[in-house]
Amino acid sequence: MSAPAFESLFRAAGVTGWLYATDIDTGHEVGRGADEPLPTASMYKVALLIALCRQAEAGVLDLAARVTVTAADRVTGPTGLSAMLDDVTISLRDLAYLMIAVSDNTSADKLLALVGFDAVNGMLAEFGLKDTRVVQGAGEMNASMGRDAGHAWPFVDPDDIARLSALDPARANCSTPREMARLFAMIWRDEAASPESCAWMRTVLNMQVWPHRLASGFPYDDVAVSGKTGTLPTLRCESGVVEYPDGARYAVSVFTRSFSTALIQPRADAVIGTAARMAVDHLRR
Amino acid sequence: MLIVDLVRHLRYFVVVAEELHFGNAAIRLGMAQPPLSQRIKRLEEELGVRLFDRSARQVRLTEEGRLLLGEAREIVSRVERLHELARQGRGTVLRVGVPPDLGPTVLAALVAAFRESSPEVRLAPAEIWTADQVTALAEGAIDVGLVRHPVTAPGLRFGQVLVQTQGVLLAEGDPLTGVGEVHLADLAGRELLMPPKEGEPGWHAEVLAECRGHNFVPAQVHEGAGLGMVLAGAAVAFGPRVELPGLAWRPLLGSPIASRVSTAWRAVTAAGADFSAVAVRTLKESAGMSDEVAAPVRRVSRRPGMLA
Repeated sequence: MSAPAFESLFRAAGVTGWLYATDIDTGHEVGRGADEPLPTASMYKVALLIALCRQAEAGVLDLAARVTVTAADRVTGPTGLSAMLDDVTISLRDLAYLMIAVSDNTSADKLLALVGFDAVNGMLAEFGLKDTRVVQGAGEMNASMGRDAGHAWPFVDPDDIARLSALDPARANCSTPREMARLFAMIWRDEAASPESCAWMRTVLNMQVWPHRLASGFPYDDVAVSGKTGTLPTLRCESGVVEYPDGARYAVSVFTRSFSTALIQPRADAVIGTAARMAVDHLRR
Repeated sequence: MLIVDLVRHLRYFVVVAEELHFGNAAIRLGMAQPPLSQRIKRLEEELGVRLFDRSARQVRLTEEGRLLLGEAREIVSRVERLHELARQGRGTVLRVGVPPDLGPTVLAALVAAFRESSPEVRLAPAEIWTADQVTALAEGAIDVGLVRHPVTAPGLRFGQVLVQTQGVLLAEGDPLTGVGEVHLADLAGRELLMPPKEGEPGWHAEVLAECRGHNFVPAQVHEGAGLGMVLAGAAVAFGPRVELPGLAWRPLLGSPIASRVSTAWRAVTAAGADFSAVAVRTLKESAGMSDEVAAPVRRVSRRPGMLA
């Protein structure tokens, strides 16, 4: 049957959208602009999470080792250690939990400093994800916006937003809907790292707190939704996995850019879930 | 060809001629399609004429078939009448109860299949809800029942339990018909049509508990067997897949609603045992029922907001 009417759905929510969804076990797929390189915002943290696990498995890092995060490490962000005031001593795996569950920027940058860009990008190349790369941490992403706009947050002027390099896939962290879904499918198929590491990553990704995007499309007790969001001015996205009661599993990635520069747009958040539901429903027909 | 065989083949011919569709005819006869096709071919050989034109996409009577149809009808009905008279003379009757919402095609298939397997016994079906069947069995008003579980009554014995996964019936204009699969929670705000609570207390309790657990609490539960309320867009109903004008059927995500049925009796009789065996076979073939397997444990996903 023909693909669902994603375009009119996105338009009604005031966004342009790109998406890709695949049945993890059969490979059936549906997409719209699935191979478009797009800025990933905080979704790069998933690649960092996998690289962290692989380094721990290789004996380079110890996930239980503790580090102390001080004011010097703190970067801008509304959640987790970024929002706290005092020094924190914490294990690497708990930093990873904060990085995923509440998208904590300080935790992410602390881990990125330990893992390194080369390890993350080398791993992505090894996975064959040629359009996915990580070139900046959260602190640098925030700093670039201040430099590009010439002033501090908020960035709501359309001219300012047009200048943001953080939104330019050629200069910022980037991926495609298909490749983000593939990263998730690899975690769910135990291919991204060892089965034990993949099981832990699934647990952490399932603890993400945000209910307004992917999860909003599946408001059912018996459907599990795991994922990682990404947000920058006019950019809202989430990639993740939806697990149905019959055991079927779907890796989904949805990117949107809103026409309006307003920061609060519940319909733009919700359309990520609605589009994902439509895609999964299509794959199940 | 023996006379009995010829009459049976003529009956197949009449039903196929009425349906002009081998699949539909096979359902009515309570048999599979390939043997039906074979028997029609065998009859054509016996009579030396082609009865149906099967070259086109649809089945058509040939000129010869059209001429022979009237005669065939006459013979079949006379032989049926003969059997009927003989049966009344012998007086073996099996009184069975079936749920009124079993569906006309299923009941017809059940009667046809039983007639085929036990031609000497006359089947007297009555449409009765489960609770009333239990009473009728206790009073000896019926010999065998076809009941919906959960049901218990002292002294009642059950045949093999079969399961039918149900979907939801919606009015054609309902916005939910746009999706391939409906979750019970999606039905929020709609009213529900169920069989009468007095007649199906176990089913009522089970279905409504399942609905409540899945965030569908119907503002009103209507009782009845007809689907008029659904057609009118005033309620939704659960049931097996059907194609009816004005209605749309959709599977339920997670298959939460499953009806379990079995035959039930108090005293074992040969005819009753035959009916039980025929019922299992026919319900699997004509009503999409399958052997009971342990119900899947309902998994509840964990989302951080649930306890925040």
